[in-house]
Amino acid sequence: MTSEKTLTYAYYPGCSLHASAGEYDLSTRELFKALEIGLTEVPDWFCCGATPAHNVDELLSLSLCAKNLELAEAVEGDLAVACASCFSRLKFTQHTLVENATKRTQVEKALDAPLKLDGKVKHLLDILARDLGLERLAAAVKKPLTGLKVACYYGCLLTRPTDVPNLDCVEAPTIMEQVIEAVGAETVAWTHRLECCGANFTLSRPGVVIQLTNAILEAAKAAGADCIMVGCPLCHGNLDIRQKEIEGVYSTSYNLPVFYLTQLVGVAVGLESAKLGLEAMIVNPLPLLKSKGLL
Amino acid sequence: MKKKKMVISQETMDVDFVRKVEMLSDTSVRRCFQCGKCSAGCPMATFMEHPPNRVVRLLQLGQWQRILAGRSIWYCASCETCSTRCPNKVHLASIMDALRKLSWDAEGASKESYVQLANKLFLQNIRSYGRQYEMRLAAVFNVKSGQFLKDLMLGPKLFAKGKLKMFHSKNKNMAEIEKIFSRIDDMRKNGEAL
Repeated sequence: MTSEKTLTYAYYPGCSLHASAGEYDLSTRELFKALEIGLTEVPDWFCCGATPAHNVDELLSLSLCAKNLELAEAVEGDLAVACASCFSRLKFTQHTLVENATKRTQVEKALDAPLKLDGKVKHLLDILARDLGLERLAAAVKKPLTGLKVACYYGCLLTRPTDVPNLDCVEAPTIMEQVIEAVGAETVAWTHRLECCGANFTLSRPGVVIQLTNAILEAAKAAGADCIMVGCPLCHGNLDIRQKEIEGVYSTSYNLPVFYLTQLVGVAVGLESAKLGLEAMIVNPLPLLKSKGLL
Repeated sequence: MKKKKMVISQETMDVDFVRKVEMLSDTSVRRCFQCGKCSAGCPMATFMEHPPNRVVRLLQLGQWQRILAGRSIWYCASCETCSTRCPNKVHLASIMDALRKLSWDAEGASKESYVQLANKLFLQNIRSYGRQYEMRLAAVFNVKSGQFLKDLMLGPKLFAKGKLKMFHSKNKNMAEIEKIFSRIDDMRKNGEAL
């Protein structure tokens, strides 16, 4: 039982959380503070390379992630990662370098240092659901999200790659639903929980993103959701920032606020709007939250 | 149409190329028996001229030039649905990585230039700044791809919401990152890594 020991983590925010996903960073810090979980940012972390690096240069991708894992060792606690893409890459790197001696030798040469690779890499969901535990999370609730129907959107990378020790079941995960139900919300059963939003094509081929993301928004609406919850800044960018544009292209209206998981849990533990960055969301969530008596 | 007999052998497969792909991707090209499950689940298959299962088939038939010249590998979103569902544990997402690397090293073998440009700028940003600065990335991409007006309407909205930042905290470890890049360059020059 981990019941009453103090939790503390090294924190890898990743590039998006320092720019377009500032509200994810803010709400993560505020939520962890409210739940009395320690969070120390890894000093001078680098970009993990995300999809573009492993797309064309796996050795570079592995080296960048290994460097970040090494930097994280200097900070107390397991490594807490907010972004699904950073999480997937860091976890994959650790797994690959432990399993594949040739790649490990190459990366050690690129870093000019031996690798330890024994720290744990955890997504925020893992910390909330398992380290803190659903019971303690539920006990911290001040405003249960009663009556709020949430479509939990995992996207592609949160539970993948499949052969790496996982956050949850790769084809039928429930960890998001568990977390948000623990704070009183209702979840909807829907078809596109694990479908890809097109992620980084938002820069090079936005047309692709518009088509894929539209299918996701349409499915969430059809399932009767009031809002979508995500754990990835790329998913968020596509679903929230591009939502108006998509409504225009398909001559329809969704008006689905897209929350980061830390924002919704933050509302439930009684944090005020300014501490959760709700004003930074493009699809305004305030009318929905007010109508449910949550603000 | 005249019917041609198809012959499959070690020669038609181009074993050398397949071995290179298998070494880079740490998975087997030869184990695929064409069930098509990868393409059935692929969100990007509709945008590709060769859906994922056919990419593997072309590799098995030694027709890898057709893959490298095409768009399919660059339209893969790396969502890993294919790898997750393969009954033979062929890690197709890693095969796509390997093929992109081989195409990338051949410089401009493919017709798909926007995705390659975005990747190139992304990696340049890491080497120069250690991190990704989204606004810079988007602005330079628009200029270099000649799409000056792309997503122009999003700019002011994002700026007002504090989502586009002009200034970022600078990474103090920049010498470290340059060393990693140049060590990898050296390893490749010396034939120690692919």
